[in-house]
Amino acid sequence: MDRIKRYRIDPRDACLTCALDDLTLLYHGRSGQTHMVISPVPEMLRAMQDGATLTVNDLWHRLAQSYDLGDRDDALAQIGAQLEALEALGLVRAA
Amino acid sequence: MKHSLTLQIGPATFRIGSAWRAPIDQLADLYAGYPDRRGAIADFTVRLQPTNMLRRWVRPSIFITGDHGLADAAPMSLPHGLLAAEMGMNLQMALGWRRHLLLHASSVERDGRVLVMTGESGSGKSTLAALLGERGWRLMGDEFALLDLDKGAILPFPRLVSLKNQAIGVVQHVVGAQRMGPLLRATAKGDIRHLVPRPDVVARMAQGAMPALLLFPRFGHAAAIRPVGQGEAFMRLTQASTNYVALGEAGFVALTRFVTGVPACAIDFPSGEAAFEMIDRLWDEGV
Repeated sequence: MDRIKRYRIDPRDACLTCALDDLTLLYHGRSGQTHMVISPVPEMLRAMQDGATLTVNDLWHRLAQSYDLGDRDDALAQIGAQLEALEALGLVRAA
Repeated sequence: MKHSLTLQIGPATFRIGSAWRAPIDQLADLYAGYPDRRGAIADFTVRLQPTNMLRRWVRPSIFITGDHGLADAAPMSLPHGLLAAEMGMNLQMALGWRRHLLLHASSVERDGRVLVMTGESGSGKSTLAALLGERGWRLMGDEFALLDLDKGAILPFPRLVSLKNQAIGVVQHVVGAQRMGPLLRATAKGDIRHLVPRPDVVARMAQGAMPALLLFPRFGHAAAIRPVGQGEAFMRLTQASTNYVALGEAGFVALTRFVTGVPACAIDFPSGEAAFEMIDRLWDEGV
């Protein structure tokens, strides 16, 4: 995991979101793709929606204010992996 | 083309041209109760043309094409010309319609609310819609349900109901032979026979209504009902839609509105009677 790398949501990548009873749908207008996601992805995107440029550690701090994230190293690893996946989808960008 | 006909089905108008007379005559006969749209500018053109010059006369072989076509569509024999025309109209809708979200589903309406049934070929959705249409429901369509992008209503697309194999006898027993088209034997999907919808279905084919229940029927299994979550319903409906991707954000908004507002169940049924009992129960509980 790269602890220096910074990520942000470009305003043009903002998704339409719809919470269903068992998962969350994201419509990414730029690609025209619909993504089906579950926790922690919606929570991560919500914590980044102000457009701030964040490291994995920064995002952990933001999420930890609202959620019990358990073991810190495990949570950091999961947040890092999810950010890489979201970057690959074009939903977040490396800053 | 040498022979042609213009048909209106729900909001869509089709001009069907054919190198042969027989398919057009059959269509004109079966769609006699539909609005006469001669001279109208059609939304789509369907063409039934010979696969090559010789094939107009010698073992006639129909290539289905039109405004939208598939390069590798399998040719069909002239006795199956009616089916070719129906498939040609479906093809235009599936590939070209953008005014509504198109769901590969049957739909029926009662008391101003719509039951939508989706499933693969053989699931029983056409047969159930045809039979419910004879039991006090208004048939809206057996192939495509049109989901309005702004309000979320389902609009009718009541073409001829396409019945296959054992469903032919079941439905004919109820409606009689008068409203049935010619029996088309040994098509790619087995025997096919078309049912002409009741006159009130055609008279009200511009009238939509709000959806109230979504079912995923499956014929040939012991009776069972399973609630379907919104995520699964959404995923299966995107697979059942031919234009979800093409509609972009408008399709997303319409489909999420549908799955969050309409309860969904999967029903397995061994017979029509078992299905009617389950549908009546779910309808009374959910609506």
